[in-house]
Amino acid sequence: MPESTSRVLTESPSLAPLFVKAALTSRGRGGALPDTVLRREAVQVDRDHLLAYQRICRFTGTDVLPPTYPHVLGFPLQVSLMSGRDFPLPLPGLVHLENRIVVHRQLTADDRLDISVHAEQLASHPKGQVVDLVTEVDVAGQRVWEGRSTYLRRGRGGDDAAYREKAPALPDRPPAAVLRLPEDLGRRYAAVSGDVNPIHLHPLTAKAMGFPRAIAHGMWTYARTLAALGPKAVEPGESSVWFGKPVLLPNTVEVVVDPDASPLVAGLRSRKDASKVFLTLTLS
Amino acid sequence: MATRSTPRSTQQSSSAPRRAAVIGGNRIPFARANSTYSHASNQDMLTATLDGLVARFGLAGEQVGEVVAGAVLKHSRDFNLTRESVLGSSLAPTTPAYDVQQACGTGLEAAILVANKIALGQIDSGIAGGTDTASDAPIALNEGLRQTLLAANRAKTPVQRAKALTGLRPNQLVPSIPQNVEPRTGLSMGEHMAQTAKQWGVSREAQDEIAAASHQHLAAAYDRGFFDDLLTPFKGLTRDQNLRPDSSVEKLAKLNPVFGKGPDATMTAGNSTPLTDGAAAVLLGSDEWAAERGLPVLAHVVDAQTAAVDYVTGHEGLLMAPAYALPKLLERQGMKLQDFDLVEIHEAFASTVLCTLAAWESEEFCRDRLGLDAPIGELDRSKLNVNGSSLAAGHPFAATGGRIVASLAKALHEKGSGARGLISVCAAGGQGVMAILEAA
Repeated sequence: MPESTSRVLTESPSLAPLFVKAALTSRGRGGALPDTVLRREAVQVDRDHLLAYQRICRFTGTDVLPPTYPHVLGFPLQVSLMSGRDFPLPLPGLVHLENRIVVHRQLTADDRLDISVHAEQLASHPKGQVVDLVTEVDVAGQRVWEGRSTYLRRGRGGDDAAYREKAPALPDRPPAAVLRLPEDLGRRYAAVSGDVNPIHLHPLTAKAMGFPRAIAHGMWTYARTLAALGPKAVEPGESSVWFGKPVLLPNTVEVVVDPDASPLVAGLRSRKDASKVFLTLTLS
Repeated sequence: MATRSTPRSTQQSSSAPRRAAVIGGNRIPFARANSTYSHASNQDMLTATLDGLVARFGLAGEQVGEVVAGAVLKHSRDFNLTRESVLGSSLAPTTPAYDVQQACGTGLEAAILVANKIALGQIDSGIAGGTDTASDAPIALNEGLRQTLLAANRAKTPVQRAKALTGLRPNQLVPSIPQNVEPRTGLSMGEHMAQTAKQWGVSREAQDEIAAASHQHLAAAYDRGFFDDLLTPFKGLTRDQNLRPDSSVEKLAKLNPVFGKGPDATMTAGNSTPLTDGAAAVLLGSDEWAAERGLPVLAHVVDAQTAAVDYVTGHEGLLMAPAYALPKLLERQGMKLQDFDLVEIHEAFASTVLCTLAAWESEEFCRDRLGLDAPIGELDRSKLNVNGSSLAAGHPFAATGGRIVASLAKALHEKGSGARGLISVCAAGGQGVMAILEAA
């Protein structure tokens, strides 16, 4: 059993070397989840970085942190934890299945964020194994933001796996917006988020990982859909997202919204084939 | 309390339109160009300013009658800048909005437009504002390249298109960058002003005194908390970046002139307004609308006047139009310049303020140019720009009107009911916008 540890990192880990390390050490993993909690304290928001993030996801460039932004700040801790040798699932090939974000109060670039990440709920799933990476953000000792990222390791599924809440049906409505996603979107978002997973970067690196073309980052599609919902998406509240089919780049996708549903339901689907759903989210 | 010697109608007759109330304002601190707000767009700044105003007055999710704002340096993609900012703000998405543009008069003109619709009963509330960035400025295609591409676009056959594209030249890669010059004269605003300053014999010392006073007044206003309910911090700024509280005539005297030529050039970077980024907004409404929401009324919009001068032929100085607007306002209101309790003259340059005041004092100018029997006379300087103006705060072109309306309304309110204030803003194109506010 791994020891229970809490480690404070003084700076955000660089992601590319972690991805390489995780790839090189991907074999022979297993066992239980480590008890590790990785922390960064009093993280100061880099306003240029925030604006770059707001621009690429199309949030307004104000001082308010988009609800998905703390995830980006915590993501290097997630990768750091998952690339550790004591993490039971190999990082390459992990699929981001779901994400849940709770914003307890609106955060601004002036807040100093204490960010901690740990893993929990390693469980079997009909398509393999899932694990939750939990990111928690405190300001002055008060919990202000929580994120739960669920990743799937494809493999032999547990027959008895009773899986949690399913995605609500995407409303059958005309598009609220059409988004044209350029071929270089993955590289551009990687430059901002630091998520340099090769499946997002280039058709060739994506092919090596089993995808016909580069695919958009799930967290970008999530953030971009929230941004399309307007100011209510940056208010305190809760949102859950279920990722469906990968968005191959370039692509033209439709934002669909059911504003009358409670909680609000929105999603992204293919412009060509409305039955192809890329993501579904709820916002309350 | 304000007392006045001149009789005038303070009561509205029953047929007169109601007066729009100035309820409050909000702006972000102004930043020097190419500094803290370098990457912020006009839409970012206007949205942040609107959100601050909405938060201050509890308007989240509410629909106001209309939002009117503008920007002077505006990208073509921002054709619906104000409406887009409203959609990004916490106002109800059913709030209508439109853009206006009258160079540096934009913000004040926007407030006049909103006030007039309120006065006519067409709307009960509205927000007027403006935003400008000299850092995130639009850069247009080289004119030759633009013409070539348009010709190619008009072509009907591939051969025609190919022929049109042979017009491409390497030098067309040089973009067209917006310049702070008058299109018809090719002279910068500073060069125009330097000519007028020389004509009026405005001294370097007098200009530096105006500049030092602007910084000292603005600093004092910050220190006494005057801006606490007029400002929302943005991108880490909590005060106007250009403000130098320790500014003095002695320090300003050391700067070299930047506008005008020769040994008698007087205009320096210290007594001229720097390029600045920022946004400002003002909340206006009918008295009833404010009362229903328990909102304070600081002042009412009494009257407004615009004017324009022929600067192209050199008949008049580019920034002298406000001098011409004033007599019309005074006549209509039965007032004298000396009746005002506070006067805000936008400091495009210190010399703009001094030339305008000199013109009003000049018997010759008032007789020959304004057609008056007697000069308008001298202004008691203790009433002028009491909380600082553009030389200290900076001047993000379209944002200045909103800054002045909100600050003056609050300052008049502090003086007491009935106190009257005058706003004067000069603008490119030889225009001027003026308005009168009266404390509620």
